[in-house]
Amino acid sequence: MIQAAAQPRRFLNPQDGYVHVQVTQGETWVTADAREVLTTVLGSCIAACLHDPVAKVGGMNHFLLPDGGGQDRAARYGVNAMEILINGLLRQGAARARLEAKLFGGASVIAGLSDVGAGNVAFAEKFLADEGIALVGGDVRGTRARRVQFWPVSGRARQLAVSDGRTLAARELMVAEATLQQESEAPHDVELF
Amino acid sequence: MPAAAKLHVVVVDDQLTMRTLVRTGLQQIGIVNSRDFPGAAEAWTSIQTHPTHVVISDFNMPGMDGLEFLRAMRACDTMKNVAFILLTGRADKELVARAVQFGANNYLVKPFTVATLKQKIEQVVGPLS
Repeated sequence: MIQAAAQPRRFLNPQDGYVHVQVTQGETWVTADAREVLTTVLGSCIAACLHDPVAKVGGMNHFLLPDGGGQDRAARYGVNAMEILINGLLRQGAARARLEAKLFGGASVIAGLSDVGAGNVAFAEKFLADEGIALVGGDVRGTRARRVQFWPVSGRARQLAVSDGRTLAARELMVAEATLQQESEAPHDVELF
Repeated sequence: MPAAAKLHVVVVDDQLTMRTLVRTGLQQIGIVNSRDFPGAAEAWTSIQTHPTHVVISDFNMPGMDGLEFLRAMRACDTMKNVAFILLTGRADKELVARAVQFGANNYLVKPFTVATLKQKIEQVVGPLS
């Protein structure tokens, strides 16, 4: 069984009538509820927004591989983040062959720092190509942080530029390193022998 | 049970990327004879007709899931003695208990390190080197 480690914060926004689901780093959310809109803010991080137009279900994850996925430990974490999202969609009636993806994020917001964002974009694009999932849109790379909204039932997405993404990007890296450390030390806490 | 270089392992997962990761890990611990399949149905004939010592199978797959695959293997005379390691998304005690009840030899929680992969296989087949 696949389960997201953390649960996003949800609240009803009286201005637009939607339930906003804030998908932060390390989280995944899948829904077939047309009243929900998934939101996130990205610096170097990636959000993969997947949608099945027939089953009318969609979802978003949000992750950062601190070395861009170039090392085994990070690649494993990235693959797992994508698998959690895909399996969540399949459980709600999506078909793998119908999945459409939009990718956001992967910006290089801190000048002089190695381009972690570009590595993450390369990882996500390769994953989708290898798994045969159509990449139909999104916006990646660049130098500005992004605020993304994704309507999972229709597959519609939009983004706004965020003025100062440097603090955000630094925090993303810290969280990613801590998460990977935690994952590598995660106990296999069911004893068989 | 043969040492790493002579061990034949079958990897079953609906995601190509995960299969590739597992097989890369197997190579890193000296297991060069591995085959991978996107589902249980595809793996079935290969396991029956080719040497197979260990099956590493995802639980969450469309069609036949990992537990159904395990039960089918244990009910088949030619496959009932093949070691079975279940790949899961988390250390779910109920799932692992059911897997053991059905005859699983071990389990592996994703994401895992190469060291953990080696440890889990060695717990089943003995030292690899």
